[in-house]
Amino acid sequence: MEAFGLLIYGFSVLLTWKTLALMMVGLVLGIFVGVLPGLGGPNGVAILLPLTFTMDPTSAIVMLSCIYWGALFGGAITSILFNIPGEAWSVATTFDGYPMAQQGKAAEALTAAFTSSFIGSLVAVLLITFLAPGIASFALRFGPPEFFAVYLLTFCSFVGLGREEKHKTIISMTLGLLLAGVGMDTVSGQLRMTFGSNELLRGINFLVAVIGLFGISEILLTMEERLALRGHAASISPRVVLKVWKELPRYWATLLRSSAIGCWLGITPGGAIAASFMGYNLAKRFARDKDSFGKGRIEGVFAPETAAHASGTSALLPMLALGIPGSGTAAILLGGLMVWGLNPGPLLFVEHKGFVWGLIASMYLGNVVGLILVLTTVPLFAAVLRVPFSAIAPMIVVSCAIGAYAIQNAMFDIWLMLVFGVVGYAFKKIGIPLAPFTLALVLGNRAEDAFRLSMIGAGGDLRVFWSNALVGSITTLALVLLFWPLISGAMAQMRNAIRRDARLGTK
Amino acid sequence: MSRQIGFLASALAALALTTAPAFAWEPSKPVEIVVAAGAGGASDQMARMMQAAIQKNNLMKQPMVVSLKGGASGAEALMYMKSSAGDPHRTLIAYSLIYMLPLSAKIPFNWRELTPVSVIALDQFVLWTNAQLPYKTVKEFADAAKTANPPFKMGGTGSKREDHVLTVFLEKKTGAKFAYLPYKSGGEAATQLVGNHTQSNVNNPSENLEVWRAGQVRPLCVFDKERMQYRTKVTDSMSWNDIPTCKDQGVDVQYLMLRAMFLPGKVTPEQTAFYVDLFSKLTRTSEYKEYMEKQALKPVFLAGKDMLKFLEEDDALNRNLMTEAGFVAN
Amino acid sequence: MSKPEVEIVVEDPDPPARDSPAVTSTRTVEVVAALLLLALAVLLGFDNWRTGMSWDSTGPQAGYFPFYLSAILAAACLFGIGKEFLARKQASETFVTRAQLRRVTQVFVPTLLFCVVTQWLGLYVASFLLVAGFMAFVGRIAAWKAVLTALLFSLIMFVTFEIAFDVIMPKGPLEALFGH
Repeated sequence: MEAFGLLIYGFSVLLTWKTLALMMVGLVLGIFVGVLPGLGGPNGVAILLPLTFTMDPTSAIVMLSCIYWGALFGGAITSILFNIPGEAWSVATTFDGYPMAQQGKAAEALTAAFTSSFIGSLVAVLLITFLAPGIASFALRFGPPEFFAVYLLTFCSFVGLGREEKHKTIISMTLGLLLAGVGMDTVSGQLRMTFGSNELLRGINFLVAVIGLFGISEILLTMEERLALRGHAASISPRVVLKVWKELPRYWATLLRSSAIGCWLGITPGGAIAASFMGYNLAKRFARDKDSFGKGRIEGVFAPETAAHASGTSALLPMLALGIPGSGTAAILLGGLMVWGLNPGPLLFVEHKGFVWGLIASMYLGNVVGLILVLTTVPLFAAVLRVPFSAIAPMIVVSCAIGAYAIQNAMFDIWLMLVFGVVGYAFKKIGIPLAPFTLALVLGNRAEDAFRLSMIGAGGDLRVFWSNALVGSITTLALVLLFWPLISGAMAQMRNAIRRDARLGTK
Repeated sequence: MSRQIGFLASALAALALTTAPAFAWEPSKPVEIVVAAGAGGASDQMARMMQAAIQKNNLMKQPMVVSLKGGASGAEALMYMKSSAGDPHRTLIAYSLIYMLPLSAKIPFNWRELTPVSVIALDQFVLWTNAQLPYKTVKEFADAAKTANPPFKMGGTGSKREDHVLTVFLEKKTGAKFAYLPYKSGGEAATQLVGNHTQSNVNNPSENLEVWRAGQVRPLCVFDKERMQYRTKVTDSMSWNDIPTCKDQGVDVQYLMLRAMFLPGKVTPEQTAFYVDLFSKLTRTSEYKEYMEKQALKPVFLAGKDMLKFLEEDDALNRNLMTEAGFVAN
Repeated sequence: MSKPEVEIVVEDPDPPARDSPAVTSTRTVEVVAALLLLALAVLLGFDNWRTGMSWDSTGPQAGYFPFYLSAILAAACLFGIGKEFLARKQASETFVTRAQLRRVTQVFVPTLLFCVVTQWLGLYVASFLLVAGFMAFVGRIAAWKAVLTALLFSLIMFVTFEIAFDVIMPKGPLEALFGH
């Protein structure tokens, strides 16, 4: 049991008073940002990231991932009590969670949400634990062509499978790739697109862009709307918790199904949003009385929450192992890794074992502590929503500015954040997707470097991307995904033609 | 001119301080050690050793904080130090990049704008190859490289920097051609060598130490005029001292890299004096000595006029190498 | 615990009017954004052409990828502009109404001022001014409550970042008085 030994090692890295205290702080802050309107998981993590800059990477990631778990738990509170999904992936939780709260069963709904989040995460962490040891040896097979193929796969899946208008996805992605290239080019050691500016020398930091695009623009968008809310209050008693837990075994099929969906969509870049809806819809399809969904059925809370959290957690595996973020928050954590000077990717498992296994151990511990914490403190956090938005909005702006500044100690970055805030506001309203932009900004340089290193090594021969089974199959898959709309169109035509032929034949 | 007077004064002050322990100036808040490279690289490891040694031996009341600024191949750290003029709570752990980066990338930086404090070590370069490859000597390696098609891949950190310069000179002396792959860190260059994606690299001893001990790479020669002095066995059969010099192996290439501490410009002589004293005490700690041996660094300590002389000579040397390698941007 | 009535209510002091006239249409903004991006693409394309955009013996030069990316960006923008131009006869959605724009300005302008003040007086003073000002003038909250909240918030931020976590923020003359 290599995994078990490494996990014990991970716990040994983790179990100091300092780390445990940081976990608690992270969880509380995380629940807090999860509950606040206009913040939520990725933004909260991005804004609180600077707290970790002076820590060693292991403490930093432990605290940050705890903020993440906290935010996930916090999102469920607003969905159920106020019908406001804190995150896109909490939308499905409101379908049955809010009706339950209306019927006076808010405590049951919350307990169900927290418990199923916990189960979803646990399944995903178990999966990570058993897959991770294999990665270290697999890692050594990754040279520049393999890395490039993987990045290409990620980009192509966005262009080929995205539902937005194609030209808008392309605008978003090329803009991200271009901005990623600003600054020093590692391969040639040349400066580019800096226009002689010392500020642009550092390049455009991914996290600064994210804080502006999501934090500031979200405030602007929130202000446009009416800022009134009404909701239910709830406190959770041990009796209710036990009652819900006793019912759990009856829903084992739902829990298992949702966990599996979540893990799968988390590892492939499908994301937690798709996972939560799929979890909900499948639970509904398999249920005998489909009509009771949407009217306050506890299974309707179990299914999406389990799937969302299984996916949110397993998204960390491709982030650590390949340097590809499976979710928005994973992308922020990836940015954090780079700020701490770590290079995400398979080599992380070889070069920084303590870090990786400390993180995996913290996933177990963080979820257990988080579950207990959130069950006992719900009324406290629900009260946060009583604070008027006009007090919260400027505080979020200040937090965003602190976050942007602290990344590189640069006033310039505060201005950059403001610009990205306006850009994000406009892009969201005219339907240019932001996900391809952030993905391109964080992976652009790495993809380009990998490509150019491959070219130097192969003397400019493009066949290097098909030079062995591993790289060849990834590259081919990437191209298939890119041209998927064309391919599926052609296949449909072929099928029609065959059907027509068949009809003709029978005549 | 006035700066040089400042140095004289600081050197004198440092002398005076060895007799009088009370300082004219002391840090009033945590001191940042700025690292111009990524985590786990040689500079980072050294910064963490200093942090631990200073704390453990109570050499300073305020704590030290390591801050990694490896962006833009380390240019981030240089510009950060340049813009911190007058702030005595920031120190840079510098290496040859302070000479090379302004030449290759036209970055508006000159080390003379910072305040040199002390040179604390010199770092070696070793030619490494994958242990699974059959080459035991530089000659066997070079002969194979000469006829290899596609050419052998040489991994290194950054473009147009020390690793790249060494590769160019290795090419000139052996007649072989290498495809130089610039990675982001020495750690990456090491793992890529182990994974057989490159045939060789010219990493510092510290960067390849772990994989050497694991028997995955083989050292061929050290780029210095004499062997390294450490005779304790690192692997089952070899110590650092067992690695021959490249000159003995018929390839006359020598290069040593400084590891030096700088303060930003415009700090007072009292402030410089404090740090000169701090780092001189540091080099006498057992942590420092152990670290030098483990990572096979050359322990030295230069401050004041000696350091300035060393820097000027080293600068000229590096400029020549860069020009000869064709890496100076026009 | 099982009380079905609403227990937490937060009201908006002045919600945006529902029947406010439109300031501009989504189509106009889309075209303007595309034109701006087009200009950026041309600028970056030119800079990369200068850096070197060919494919030499060791693979692509530094400007190769950015140059072609600029070209793709420019093409996508032109496509977008063309598409909107062809669809100009159909009605477009409202981008923002006058009432909404007023409220967005209410956050944006203070945020902008906050950044300016941060540059001169440091982040903590600016944060005090922003929180207090925003609460009092936009949120119509009693002045003493606004000032007290802002003071507490700025102090907590200062203690958390500067003292507990050693994260250094831009500071001005006020902090200098206290030796920071």
